[in-house]
Amino acid sequence: MLPLKLLFRDWRGGELALIATALVLAVTCVTAIAHFTDRLSRAMEQQSLTFLAAERVLRSSRPVDDSWLQEARERGLKQAEAVTFASMVAAGDQFQFAAVKAVSDGYPLLGTLEMRSAEGAPGRQVQHGPPPGEAWVEPRLLPLLELQLGDTLQLGDTTLTVTGLLDREPDRSTSLFDMGARLLVHVDDLAAAGVIQPGSRVRYRYLFAGDDRALEQYFKWLKPRLTEHQRVIDLREGQPRVASALDRAERFLFLAGSLAVLLASVAVGLAARRYGLRHTAYVAVMKSLGAGRGKVLAIYLGQLTALTLLATATGLLLGSLIQSQAVNLMADFFPVEPPPSQLSPLLVGLATGFACALGFALPPLFRLSRTDPMQALRRDWSNPDRREWLGLVLGPTSMLLLIWWLSGSLAITTALFAGMALLVGGSALVNQLLVRGRLSSLGGAWRIALGSLQRRAAFNTLLIAAFGTGLLAMLALVFARTALIDEWRMQLPEQAPNHFLFNIAPHEVDPLQTTLADNNIGSTEFYPMVRGRLIAINGIPAKEYKKDQRNGEPNALRRELNLSWTENLAPDNRILEGEWWDKTDRGVSVEVELAARLNLALGDMLRFSIGGLEVEAPVASFRSLDWNSMRPNFYMIFAPGTLEDFPATYITSFYLPPEQKLLVNDLVRNFPSVSVIELDKIIQRIRDTIAQVSLAIESVMALMLVAGVLVLIAGVRASIAERLQEAAIIRTLGGRRRLLLQSLVLEFGLLGVAAGLLAAAGAEATLAVLSQRVFELPFVFHPMLWLVGPLAGALLVGSAGTLACRSSVSQPPLQVLRELA
Amino acid sequence: MSAMLRAENLHHRVATSEGPLTLLNNISLQLARGESLAITGASGSGKSTLLGLLAGLDKPTEGRIWLAGEEITAMDEEQRAALRARCVGFVFQTFQLLPGLTAQENVMLPSELRGERSAASRAAEFLARVGLEHRLHHYPRQLSGGEQQRVAIARAFASFSGGDGILFADEPTGSLDAGNGDKVIDLLFKLNAESNTTLVLVTHEQRLAQRCGAHLRMAAGEITAADSLDGNDNLSEVSI
Repeated sequence: MLPLKLLFRDWRGGELALIATALVLAVTCVTAIAHFTDRLSRAMEQQSLTFLAAERVLRSSRPVDDSWLQEARERGLKQAEAVTFASMVAAGDQFQFAAVKAVSDGYPLLGTLEMRSAEGAPGRQVQHGPPPGEAWVEPRLLPLLELQLGDTLQLGDTTLTVTGLLDREPDRSTSLFDMGARLLVHVDDLAAAGVIQPGSRVRYRYLFAGDDRALEQYFKWLKPRLTEHQRVIDLREGQPRVASALDRAERFLFLAGSLAVLLASVAVGLAARRYGLRHTAYVAVMKSLGAGRGKVLAIYLGQLTALTLLATATGLLLGSLIQSQAVNLMADFFPVEPPPSQLSPLLVGLATGFACALGFALPPLFRLSRTDPMQALRRDWSNPDRREWLGLVLGPTSMLLLIWWLSGSLAITTALFAGMALLVGGSALVNQLLVRGRLSSLGGAWRIALGSLQRRAAFNTLLIAAFGTGLLAMLALVFARTALIDEWRMQLPEQAPNHFLFNIAPHEVDPLQTTLADNNIGSTEFYPMVRGRLIAINGIPAKEYKKDQRNGEPNALRRELNLSWTENLAPDNRILEGEWWDKTDRGVSVEVELAARLNLALGDMLRFSIGGLEVEAPVASFRSLDWNSMRPNFYMIFAPGTLEDFPATYITSFYLPPEQKLLVNDLVRNFPSVSVIELDKIIQRIRDTIAQVSLAIESVMALMLVAGVLVLIAGVRASIAERLQEAAIIRTLGGRRRLLLQSLVLEFGLLGVAAGLLAAAGAEATLAVLSQRVFELPFVFHPMLWLVGPLAGALLVGSAGTLACRSSVSQPPLQVLRELA
Repeated sequence: MSAMLRAENLHHRVATSEGPLTLLNNISLQLARGESLAITGASGSGKSTLLGLLAGLDKPTEGRIWLAGEEITAMDEEQRAALRARCVGFVFQTFQLLPGLTAQENVMLPSELRGERSAASRAAEFLARVGLEHRLHHYPRQLSGGEQQRVAIARAFASFSGGDGILFADEPTGSLDAGNGDKVIDLLFKLNAESNTTLVLVTHEQRLAQRCGAHLRMAAGEITAADSLDGNDNLSEVSI
């Protein structure tokens, strides 16, 4: 009971509020972030799974054995089917190629279709396709077939009534099977239509959803039964761009969570240290009154436990409230309703509370229990215990373990450790400089400020490390966020090409260019394309060439490749090794990852079979490219003059604004042999997802900045009493207010600059590790970091310190001394 | 009369960056129950160090000390703390009241550390004895220096759990003006006489030292003079 009584009394006296505030702050931040990250990542995952319309998809070029589907049903999995193929559709005298998709009941398993039952009616979200006998069409198919809603159309031998306009489907793919305007029908109508014949190019997609374990086990069962014509697709394969954005966003949020722990630990550490110092007198008196070390320890451990429980509970509550408010506020931005909170973020908050308390508050309390009772007689309140190693080891170790657990990433933990190590090493160096610096030549405020820094050099090391940690966390997060979001924006710029045209005959290139130019549409270059198979490398037939054991036989050896040639290197392509055609006039430039899979070296001879004829060319260069650029890209680009004799078709891509969408119909009508791939809808969905992820990142960052500022305040508070006393004495001795104010600004400003510089170095190291190991972005040096770090440090620490100590200047010195006594 | 406090051949040295420093050199003394002893000397003469050793706050480098019949130099820190909780009271120069606690709570602290249930009423009773019954719920910062020292005296007397008690006072008037100092000293001696406690007092003030039954003068860690002021022979065993 005594610890609780003392806790209550101490609390009333305002002493414990410091540690409690820091702990509440720590737990609130981490809980809010953990909740938010958890709900957001589950929401994002749910939303992104709708890209597949299922959790997993089995793709096959022919119908699969019915027993496989039976097995899935027996394992309790939900299952649906979608068959896609291109087919001619007729209405009266009009004929048009359509991308037909026949879906079973239950489609889509995840996500919704957006359709209208009448033109001009508002769009409806539905979770089913048309019933047998009906068809839903993409709106632009109506004018092409001169149809109205309610009319009938002919698909093979069957007649279907058009009952809906299809505006959006979750799993619209970009494959060759899906070219043209969409016609959605029921799978039961396929047999009657008779459009699928042996040899037809059809893609069967079997959709599965259900319990994670059941899914896992089913696909484990299925894997050995798959043939080479069948593939299982999960989100990662289905939408690599979205998956990678989500992955990075998730890692960023984990990083933010880890930084919150770091900041919170520093705040708790500073508060506990101050508490420990202020309680030295308490303990000395208690010991002189007969309290042994065990009793003191029991009292303070009891207090710490009660305090931690109280603060953690408050933090858990606040964190949960904040995140639910944040989610509510941002509800409009989320296309998917975030799933409800789970228990795990609360456990994360609880662990944070106890790890911070044990790791950072325990060592000062242990030191406190060793207070010498003679100190009560000597009136010496210093803390002479030299066993600081406990604090130095226990705190950072518990923090790093917690970060490792939270982030699940050794790379994030290493990055932060590297940054912190640099920071602490630098702080020790600054300490040495302060101790050895000669100040006699300086006058006025500088002399007072530097003298004060020098006197407290040892404590300043801690303070600089603490301020530095706060700044490091803020800088690393702001710069990581900028890098991520910039990268996404660069990948999908506002006017990224959203339509591809291919199968363009050479004589159609000029008229197409003219049509596009007349409509003010800028296209990428028209690339010639010849299909060919790589049949030998350095004379070794492809069948025998299986050098890369890890990936098995490279896919590129099994299928035809699109071969192209061009004079100009595309803007998203880069020559990594070898030479481009401005320096050499023969050979082939190979995409670097494929080259690695094939174990190619510059000069290797590649033999291709193109329409029965063979062409041989040496590898002239290795080239990186950006598959996300929405431009036509090729694994193999030949030097001009090699492939010109082969019959080629051309490919290009362009950006078509939504208001000009009907131009696609003109192109289809005027260039009937040209194929159009429309990516506008899918790009819009990707962009929406990324906008949502960016928003999440920015909100978490805002939370972190608040936490960072609070650490700065805790740091200033930790050092305030002594400074106030000194300032009061200087004023008593006749020091002018202005001089004191200047020296305070200088002192905290210098601390801020030192912390900012070290934080910039730490953040640069952290970002270097993070960008390469965590975000998989190229390393970039950040000159701005080195400017912003010290400036932000001087400004934040300088103003926080001066504001906190302003009473020493504004109040009568006697009052300050009395209050401190 | 049996000795309440006895010290034999005390030596105390501490390590400093300039080598070992002798704080006390060969001190022996004995004090009977209910008696009072003043220790005087210049700053740095070792008076407070001696007081701390006698109260069991620290252990001497050499020598033995008996307090209330028990040898505290043979005890570990926990045992000494337990003994202090039972029979030692302290009055410090700077009062050493805990700022977060009210006057009553400060006085309750020793009883609470012993786990007593009647701590609050006992504290109120002691505060009434020092004339502060109207200040029970005031915090130290709301009290004058004299009042704070009276609270400290109340706390010191509340430290005894019955039986023998010994009060150690370190410059009890050092932070007070003459008027307040006199009041505090009158109170201290009055309570001491009423409770029949033993009193060991460190002071600079001759006036105050003269009110004690015995008087040790110290310089450079050694006793330079020992007087029995009231003519009895309680200090017969004090060795110089």
